[in-house]
Amino acid sequence: MSRTGSHLSRQSPPASGITLPENKNQNQETMNMNHGRNVNRRDFLKISSLFLAGTAAASYGVGEVLNGSSNAFADENGEKVVYSFCEHCFWRCGIAAHVRDGKIYKITGSEHHPLSNGRLCPRGTGGIGQIYDPDRLAHPLIREKKGGKSTYRKASWDEAITAVAEGFYKTREKYGPGSIAMLHHGYGVSFFKSMFKGIGVNQFAKPSYDFCCGPRREAFNLTYGHPAGTPEGIDIINSKYLIFFGTHYGENMHNTAVQELSEGIRRGLKIVVFDPRFSTIAGKAEKWLPIKPATDIAMMQAIMHVMISENRYDREFVNRYTVGLNELWAEVSEMTPEKAAEITDIPADDIRTIAREFASHAPNAAVHPGRRTNWYSDGTQRVRAIAILNALAGNYKMPGGVVKFDTFDLPKPEAHPHPAFEKECYSKFPFFVKNVSSNTLGSHEIVEKTIEGDIKAWMVYGVNVPETVTFGRKTALEAIDKLDFMVVVDTLPMEVTGYADVVLPECTYLERYDDLDNGRPYRTPFVALRQPVVPPMYDSRPGNEIAKMIAEKWGLHGIFEENVETYLDKRLQKIGSSLAEIKKTGTLVKPETDLYRKPGEALKFKTPSGKIELASAQMKAAGLDSVPRYMRHPEPADGFYRLLTGRKPMLTFGRTANNRFLGELPTAQENEIWMHPDVAAKHDIHLETAGHGQNEPVYVRLKNQDGIVSEFPIKVKITERIRRDSVYMVHGFGHYLKKLSWAYKRGASHNQMISRTEIDPVMGGVGYQNNFVTFIKEA
Amino acid sequence: MTETTTEIISTKMNPNVLPHLHIWEWHIPLYLFLGGLAGGLLIITAIMIVIKRHFGVGPRDEGEGCPCLAVRIGSLLAPVLLGVGMLFLFLDLANKFYVWAFYTTVQPTSPMSAGSWILIAFFPMAVLQAMLVNKKFLRDRNIGVVNKLIDWTEDHLTLVALLNAHIGIGIGIYTGILLSFFYARPLWSSSILGMLFLVSGISSAAALMLLFAPDNEKPIYSKIDVNALWIEMVVLGLFVLGGITGPSNNSGAMMHLIGGDYQMAGMSYMLWFWGIFVALGLVLPMLLEFLEAVGVHIRFPLVAPVLVLIGGLVLRFLIVFAGQTYHTFM
Amino acid sequence: MADKKNYGMVIDTRVCVGCSACVYACKSENGVPEGYCRDWVVQETKGRFPKLSMENRSERCQHCENAPCVTYCPTRASHYDDNGTVQINRSRCTGCKACLAACPYDARYVHPQGFADKCSLCKHRLDEGLDTACVSVCPTKSLNLVDFNDPENKAERLMNGKEVYRQKDHAGTNPSLYWISARNKPGE
Ligand SMILES: Nc1nc2c(c(=O)[nH]1)N[C@H]1C(S)=C(S)[C@@H](COP(=O)(O)OP(=O)(O)OC[C@H]3O[C@@H](n4cnc5c(=O)[nH]c(N)nc54)[C@H](O)[C@@H]3O)O[C@H]1N2
Ligand SMILES: Nc1nc2c(c(=O)[nH]1)N[C@H]1C(S)=C(S)[C@@H](COP(=O)(O)OP(=O)(O)OC[C@H]3O[C@@H](n4cnc5c(=O)[nH]c(N)nc54)[C@H](O)[C@@H]3O)O[C@H]1N2
Ligand code: SF4
Ligand code: SF4
Ligand code: SF4
Ligand code: SF4
Ligand code: SF4
Ligand SMILES: [Mo]
Repeated sequence: MSRTGSHLSRQSPPASGITLPENKNQNQETMNMNHGRNVNRRDFLKISSLFLAGTAAASYGVGEVLNGSSNAFADENGEKVVYSFCEHCFWRCGIAAHVRDGKIYKITGSEHHPLSNGRLCPRGTGGIGQIYDPDRLAHPLIREKKGGKSTYRKASWDEAITAVAEGFYKTREKYGPGSIAMLHHGYGVSFFKSMFKGIGVNQFAKPSYDFCCGPRREAFNLTYGHPAGTPEGIDIINSKYLIFFGTHYGENMHNTAVQELSEGIRRGLKIVVFDPRFSTIAGKAEKWLPIKPATDIAMMQAIMHVMISENRYDREFVNRYTVGLNELWAEVSEMTPEKAAEITDIPADDIRTIAREFASHAPNAAVHPGRRTNWYSDGTQRVRAIAILNALAGNYKMPGGVVKFDTFDLPKPEAHPHPAFEKECYSKFPFFVKNVSSNTLGSHEIVEKTIEGDIKAWMVYGVNVPETVTFGRKTALEAIDKLDFMVVVDTLPMEVTGYADVVLPECTYLERYDDLDNGRPYRTPFVALRQPVVPPMYDSRPGNEIAKMIAEKWGLHGIFEENVETYLDKRLQKIGSSLAEIKKTGTLVKPETDLYRKPGEALKFKTPSGKIELASAQMKAAGLDSVPRYMRHPEPADGFYRLLTGRKPMLTFGRTANNRFLGELPTAQENEIWMHPDVAAKHDIHLETAGHGQNEPVYVRLKNQDGIVSEFPIKVKITERIRRDSVYMVHGFGHYLKKLSWAYKRGASHNQMISRTEIDPVMGGVGYQNNFVTFIKEA
Repeated sequence: MTETTTEIISTKMNPNVLPHLHIWEWHIPLYLFLGGLAGGLLIITAIMIVIKRHFGVGPRDEGEGCPCLAVRIGSLLAPVLLGVGMLFLFLDLANKFYVWAFYTTVQPTSPMSAGSWILIAFFPMAVLQAMLVNKKFLRDRNIGVVNKLIDWTEDHLTLVALLNAHIGIGIGIYTGILLSFFYARPLWSSSILGMLFLVSGISSAAALMLLFAPDNEKPIYSKIDVNALWIEMVVLGLFVLGGITGPSNNSGAMMHLIGGDYQMAGMSYMLWFWGIFVALGLVLPMLLEFLEAVGVHIRFPLVAPVLVLIGGLVLRFLIVFAGQTYHTFM
Repeated sequence: MADKKNYGMVIDTRVCVGCSACVYACKSENGVPEGYCRDWVVQETKGRFPKLSMENRSERCQHCENAPCVTYCPTRASHYDDNGTVQINRSRCTGCKACLAACPYDARYVHPQGFADKCSLCKHRLDEGLDTACVSVCPTKSLNLVDFNDPENKAERLMNGKEVYRQKDHAGTNPSLYWISARNKPGE
């Protein structure tokens, strides 16, 4: 493969500004668009609009769909409804896509799918903004060097597939299968895993584990012997009392969880929220406690302290089903509410009250495990503390407590024989997930191994690396720069595509089959179908076809069925159903399972002790704390503020960044930096009124503790809703690729502000909330 | 930081509704101004005809009962100006093809509907009067129908003129009532607005007639104008007072108008209101015309009427704009 | 009379999270043009750190029983429907905007095609016995379609014993939207 700048030195142009003379021009050119990295071996290519859906989109009536000139009162003929599932986040709710005259005009919640229950979160309705995005990738692209300049050229599928197959094959021949890795996120990836396994490659990572919910998964594994699951095994709807640490439901829009919460509230659920920011769910809480960030473990310990010292825990349950209470008490006995009050900024009385109320509502009370639990390096321990609090409440398999939802038992397809893998799990972290073939090492480990030269080629499926891999954007780009070969499968010209050697345009989730989904445990176990609502637009193809073409180019026949329909049908035949049957409603649903403990039922846990492990011997053996311990985290210097992050209800970072339909609302257009009025005053930031209850918008640039300045300015939101030591911004804005004609330059990138990360020693999660920013006022 | 303790985030985004109403631009103020002017002209000319005919008072007769020049031009201008105003109204309609719907509906609760019917009544009567006062010219043309119409009007002149005076009053008041029915807009929801626009229409009409009246006819229109301005001042005072002393919706709206720093064409409402409308459009012309009446020689006698006309126009723009830029009934 | 409908909504702000799903659902259901909305979401936070309270609510035309938009419409394009809602007949609407000025809730807009437009309470769906698009998408069931003539009186059941208000009640418009205040405690 030809790449720009392979003649350049491997070293980055040093900060001192010494550059090789012959590269001067080129350096300058690439510097202009290097977005914070100081390497330029693999320059960032601007995909020409020639290769995007762009003008062609008009003929598909994008404008019309988005402008809404479609008329709901039009003749109802030619309408059809297709059931499938959503891909705007990993929750995977069932959708009903409504088609008129060959166009999808609305998406509603599938009434057949247990996770949507007929309803959707705002993002679920937004598929029309994705499929009819005028910026979509329309053709395969191949990086080409002409006269020292890299460009993309439009390629046929055959050319592109040949290039991909050749690239990976050569890398494998030269360095072995361990030199190839895949970063992925999204349900379509399964075919690419089968494809890679065919050549002995199984180095797969998903940032949605190590930058996200990994700590929670392992914490529950270590404590209960099973993960917390998605949806989390919390019987929200029947709960009387729920405590949240972070977990900003209402902004985090997990459909089913939000549905259960609201029903819970109607039934009298009391909510307590620990969050440095007055989140939407804090607005629903009986008590909002603006905890000092990074001190949650101290708070949890203090609650344990009160429960144990005041004898308010479920003694019978704890004695019978747990191990390690003494060890736990030894750790938390020091953490009196008074001591915790000093650490957390929450009055001791409040801590006592909450501990007592939690205990008095037990076992119909729970502490929610959260999802993005990798805040600091002690994420696993923090969620362990949550798991322990639940155990002390004795709420396991009790109404309103911790429960275990079941999945639909659907036999796995027979594995195609493949070469032996070098390793089953490559991660160096002791409790990194085991036996999950889609996730064999941390994505940051891939970045590391790439920088060290061990990994030479990447396949990226649905991960916008520069904006996602929060090892710092800079580090991520440094790794990309070291690669010999990189392929990106995406639907849009996201930042990551600009660094690829080959870009393969996948069609969106509304235009393809994917594998059956039986991975979501819930009250009524189910299997769901993703099926095309309309045929693929432009020259895009479904992942299942792309993977098959690559495998066949390698000469591997028989990994995939002749076509995806046959494959799905065969899987369904095994349970006495068929593709034809599931197509009708998009789901097969089993009756509701019994979630609760019978009186006298003996509980078994798949932990080494067979019990809930308040103290974990296996962690101790691995040299880790056996019970969660509070540790101090760095604090902001004067004039700096801890940078907190979260979600907007109608957007999912990269996935929806360029979605005009969803982006249209005034609250969706850009992110803002939240700051307390006192903080604003201290930095002399003032809002001038523009009349009509509105203010003249004020923009600042952010500068972090390492001097990184945000590429784009961000709007200031002065609000009482946040502590004075923190600021807050929603992740997923500040896109720097011009071809994202909607997303470009909207707001600032959270990821760019991250240059300090800490790795969770338990399972390798990456914590990135020890970054601090200050403000540079825009002239 | 201001003392805000309420933070409101809204996803609402309708153009011309947010951040404040912005549905009526220059068309409507112009329509209201021209409507008021036309109403005023009709009132003045009709009254002139009646008092001349019955009491022999008033300007010189140009023979055969044909009144003076100012009345002749004024009568002619009334329907023309109204027509132009209605053209603006029409231009403002977002769905022009459906303009016919106005005249297939009688909706007495809607001032717009009532107005559109009054307008229908206005035209024939105003045209008859305009024909009559210009009969000398028309008779020369000797057109059959026209002759018949003039004959008929001649026979019923008092009736026609009296009717026209009333229709004129109706139009004048209507231009204000149109707005004051909208209680959702606190500035407009004042019943005095009808009176204010009526009087302002009369003063503007008198001023307009001053512009083209021959010198010997001027004094009477000057007198009408001064008196109308006086009354306008009083009515304006009532309007302002009624607003200020009203509930917070109305007082806020009135302050938005008379003390507001919101801009119209680069100048604050407050300046427009006090500086242009009150000082230049009311007080100064009144002073000038008063001085003239007591015999002080004014070098540019046309200044006063022009100022009055500007004042009337500014009043319509101010009220229409400030009524929209102030927030909705709370 | 008994089977004559009188539709409205009971909106439970205790559970609304302000997500805007109702806005997007309306936009695609009703082909609301880009940059316009028939419903919108308000998040109102009161107080000072750390004593704050919040109410989220999804707002739209109130389908007033004494609707100034109907009163002031010169062409009867705006009218009361038999089902208790306020509707606009697009083929009588002149775009004079009187109704926009008349509405104390600023619930209307002028459609780029010239007619006045606003929430129709999804009349086309009501006619088929369906919930409105916004009601049916809402993940929290904050939005409830009610028929005030319904003998089972769902509205009453929803509101019973709770602090309920109507917006700008003193405007005398007699709105058909009722709001369960976020000040209510859960369950009560
Ligand atoms: N609409 C929408 N929903 C989404 C997503 C989306 O993009 N859009 N993304 C999905 C994904 S992938 C994930 S991982 C989840 C993430 O959603 P969550 O799991 O809910 O994320 P959290 O980081 O727990 O929650 C963010 C909140 O934590 C608070 N917080 C920050 N630091 C601290 C701290 O030290 N202590 C405490 N107590 N609170 C703190 C912040 O102020 C913020 O309010 O959301 C999912 N749901
Ligand atoms: N700074 C910072 N970084 C973060 C987070 C944060 O809060 N702040 N959050 C972390 C969390 S919790 C998570 S879960 C991760 C998620 O991070 P990612 O996995 O990168 O998720 P997205 O940003 O949604 O990127 C998805 C990519 O998939 C593409 N895509 C969408 N649909 C399809 C499809 O059908 N097929 C293919 N092939 N591609 C598709 C999109 O165009 C986009 O490029 O990010 C993590 N990184
Ligand atoms: S929670 Fe929302 S975005 Fe996620 S799958 Fe469900 S509907 Fe789609
Ligand atoms: S969809 Fe429901 S929860 Fe979301 S904003 Fe609308 S009313 Fe509130
Ligand atoms: S809310 Fe406004 S538009 Fe709706 S019925 Fe009432 S007055 Fe008319
Ligand atoms: S804009 Fe249309 S609906 Fe509104 S008042 Fe005028 S004619 Fe009636
Ligand atoms: S009822 Fe229908 S038209 Fe009204 S806001 Fe809801 S979805 Fe929109
Ligand atoms: Mo995540």
